[in-house]
Amino acid sequence: MKRLIPAVLIPLFLSVWAAAAAPRVVELPGKSPLVTIRLVFTTGAACDPADKPGVANLTASLLANGGTKEQTYKQLVDLLYPMAAEISSSTDKEMTVFVGQTHVDNLEAFYGVMREALLHPGWRADDFARVRDNTLNALKVGLRGNNDEELGKEELYGLLYAGRPYAHENLGTVAALNGMTLEDLQAFYRLHYTQKNLMIGLAGGYPPEFAARVRKDLAALPEGTGSGCASPAPEVLARNQVTLVEKDTRSVAWSLGFPIAVKRGDPDYAALLVAQSWLGQHRLSGRLFERMREVRGLNYGDYAYIEYFPQGMFRFEPTPNLARSRQIFQIWIRPVEPPNAAFALRLAMYELDRVVREGIPAADFERTRAFLSKNVNVLMSTKSAELGYLLDSAWYGIPSYTEYIKAELAKLTVEDVNRAIRKHLRGDRIQIVGVAKDTAKLKEQLTADLATPITYNSPKPKDVTDEDKVVEQWPLHLRPQDVTVVPVGQVWEK
Amino acid sequence: MSFHRLAVLLLAAVSLLPAAGKIFPYPWVQNDLPNGLRLLTIPTDFPNIVAVYIVVGTGSRNEVEPGKSGFAHLFEHLMFRGTPEFPPEKYQAVLKSAGAASNAYTSDDLTVYHTTFSKEDLPRILSMEADRFQHLSYEEAIFRTETQAVLGEYNKNSANPISKLYETLRATAFQVHPYKHTTMGFLKDIQDMPNAYDYSRQFFDRYYRPENTTIIVVGDVEPKKALSLIEERWGEWKRGDFKPRIPAEPPQDGARTAHVEWPTATLPWLAVSFRVPGYSDQGTEGAALDAIARLGFNESSPLYQKLVIEDQTVDALRAMHADHVDGEMFTILARVKKPEAMAAVREQILRTVAGFSAGPVDAAKLEVLKKHLRYEFALSLDSSEAIAGMVAQYAGLRRTPESVNRDYDNYDKVTVEDIRKAAGKYLTEKNRTIVSLTSANSGSGAAK
Repeated sequence: MKRLIPAVLIPLFLSVWAAAAAPRVVELPGKSPLVTIRLVFTTGAACDPADKPGVANLTASLLANGGTKEQTYKQLVDLLYPMAAEISSSTDKEMTVFVGQTHVDNLEAFYGVMREALLHPGWRADDFARVRDNTLNALKVGLRGNNDEELGKEELYGLLYAGRPYAHENLGTVAALNGMTLEDLQAFYRLHYTQKNLMIGLAGGYPPEFAARVRKDLAALPEGTGSGCASPAPEVLARNQVTLVEKDTRSVAWSLGFPIAVKRGDPDYAALLVAQSWLGQHRLSGRLFERMREVRGLNYGDYAYIEYFPQGMFRFEPTPNLARSRQIFQIWIRPVEPPNAAFALRLAMYELDRVVREGIPAADFERTRAFLSKNVNVLMSTKSAELGYLLDSAWYGIPSYTEYIKAELAKLTVEDVNRAIRKHLRGDRIQIVGVAKDTAKLKEQLTADLATPITYNSPKPKDVTDEDKVVEQWPLHLRPQDVTVVPVGQVWEK
Repeated sequence: MSFHRLAVLLLAAVSLLPAAGKIFPYPWVQNDLPNGLRLLTIPTDFPNIVAVYIVVGTGSRNEVEPGKSGFAHLFEHLMFRGTPEFPPEKYQAVLKSAGAASNAYTSDDLTVYHTTFSKEDLPRILSMEADRFQHLSYEEAIFRTETQAVLGEYNKNSANPISKLYETLRATAFQVHPYKHTTMGFLKDIQDMPNAYDYSRQFFDRYYRPENTTIIVVGDVEPKKALSLIEERWGEWKRGDFKPRIPAEPPQDGARTAHVEWPTATLPWLAVSFRVPGYSDQGTEGAALDAIARLGFNESSPLYQKLVIEDQTVDALRAMHADHVDGEMFTILARVKKPEAMAAVREQILRTVAGFSAGPVDAAKLEVLKKHLRYEFALSLDSSEAIAGMVAQYAGLRRTPESVNRDYDNYDKVTVEDIRKAAGKYLTEKNRTIVSLTSANSGSGAAK
């Protein structure tokens, strides 16, 4: 009888990592009639020249949403329309990815568009004006105007990395975008869209010779030297700091965190992943969710992170191809009614302090490890995600994420996790960002040495009310000079 | 029991989309239990994972009593508040040990509880779900706490002007039908929720019943095994007899308008909306309205190309004709870059709408659209979860994936004349509601 390879292992056997020569290719062939193409350039906002924040993102947006040398954007839209296919781009600090998905019937035509978009961009002024307007609106309206939670999260990164290449918002600043020219984009393209920076990812039922052809075609890009725009480590804060972004809004959104020296592939990654999952697994139930939402009804949810996870309000699973050489630990407190805002912040700080001091219980460790070992299958439930993870693994220099994380988790003990917590997490020297309307009152509450009690609409058990008495006075160690108020219009203005 | 075995299109190494015929590529098994519960099992070739979607045919449409808007959604939250056998901590612990991603959502017509996990945990998950659907139990204090999480959800949504625009559109276009409010409900009703514990028990008793529920199991699963699990744990669930009286909305008697002043900086929004009939998988009227939404307003339409690509006065334009149990709306949404362009954009949208009843659409463009729709559908089926999510929408309307095939059959059949007729019948001034939204300090731009 023929011995068959279990289906789950096939990706490991079939994925190819040709590290020797650029551009590198990661393959995930299969029998699905859907084909996913992910073209990753290992460059991004951290490579923006200091006076051109946003140029990496705008360049990628124009390539994905502009015409080519031969065809206008309008012609491309008409060409792609019957295929129901599109090219999207995303730019993070050190990675820019172009993603396309098509039915195999249309692979030739679709790939042709994607290839020309990357090799022979049209650089038309009208496309540039449209894409720049969209980017300005994403910044001014989408982030500053309509999404208090993402605004707070992005501002947190900006403050933690102040003075570093990671500091500016990926979209750029309003002033820089207004001053940007097509020539700026072309200069960025020439320098960074190179073979050395390129990783080609293919998944699905594409024909056998397809990968070699894509690789050969994209070898038309200049060889280049590789961008290498990693950011130096940020400074550790001397004490807790708060920035309050002032805007007319119903409630108060909090984000808080600090840099950590742990990323995928590092010895303590799996241990910290267990800690963050226990404390606040994204959009599922963790310690913060249980104590803040379930027990106290403070808000819609409370979560913790050790990797960048944008758009968390719209997504249940993280987006791949946001690999970073530097990460932060972050707590996300979803909008809270203003009278309870200070209490909610104190409760999150209290819980953070507690996990640092006490670690996580052994039974919870086993359960959380079991969760993560199985939940990785859910993360890989689409071919596009699986391919994205494979590309990220190649970048981090680890085996496929599924294989890597299962092996790392299997080795862990609860002591490993609690040691990693003590080593990498802390309850002080934290950057806090709030988005709020009445910032003067909030500042006063945070800096005065007074209790900020919570009020409930129903009786609570004694253990909760006893704990509340501690939480409402939990020391934040904030002086008036540690709290900065910024009008929302000034955030990422220049 | 009926057993549908269709062409397993996606399993073929290389396949062409069929020019016509059944589009849903997976075989499915339908089992109806004596108590009225329906099970749809859909094995797919995505390995290891199973997605379970439990669809209750109750949404904000069922909120007929005054002051009780938002209750279907509140109830979705309460379903996570546990039973004597599985208190919330134990429920979450089981989900954790299964590595499950789990959540729920509520819409106008249905409430969906969904969990995606590794296949070996199917018995545990189905058993635990059976318990909470039959034995949900929560104290008043817990109930009151959960209402605050719902208020928190309203708060997090409230930073986005689209929520307010949509709230105003519904309140303007409808007078008596519960579609008058959004699924979140009116803020005053949300603030009053803590006082409605008894009503919440009544709500559960009325609607969380087997004849109102469809369980969809998709992925690495054997239908026979799924059925025996369901029979074992869900078979005793008692059938109910409550029939909601949903007030019918009278025909609209003329054009309506409303304007929203948004307190902070935003770009102006314009919603041009028309009352249209509820979902049907029979006849081509629905397909004709879907075709108008695409031909008139999506990225390859002349209007999109003019406003978004050439003139660049609009940065987002789309039309929506979402399936609803009762008649709802066909809505065109535009985000306008400058307030002073609002009037001109509105006129161009109205002219485009009028064009559909004035004369035939280009037949060649209609054929391109039909191709687009079939490929769009194929591309959307990229995981067991995506398939289950899609089938859940249909389960809320007709309780069968066969409606998917019927819909795409109707797309194949729809003609330029069907489109002209549907536009003339529904996209009329009498049926129209226009709502504009502008930043408080950016000039009027109000709909006239």
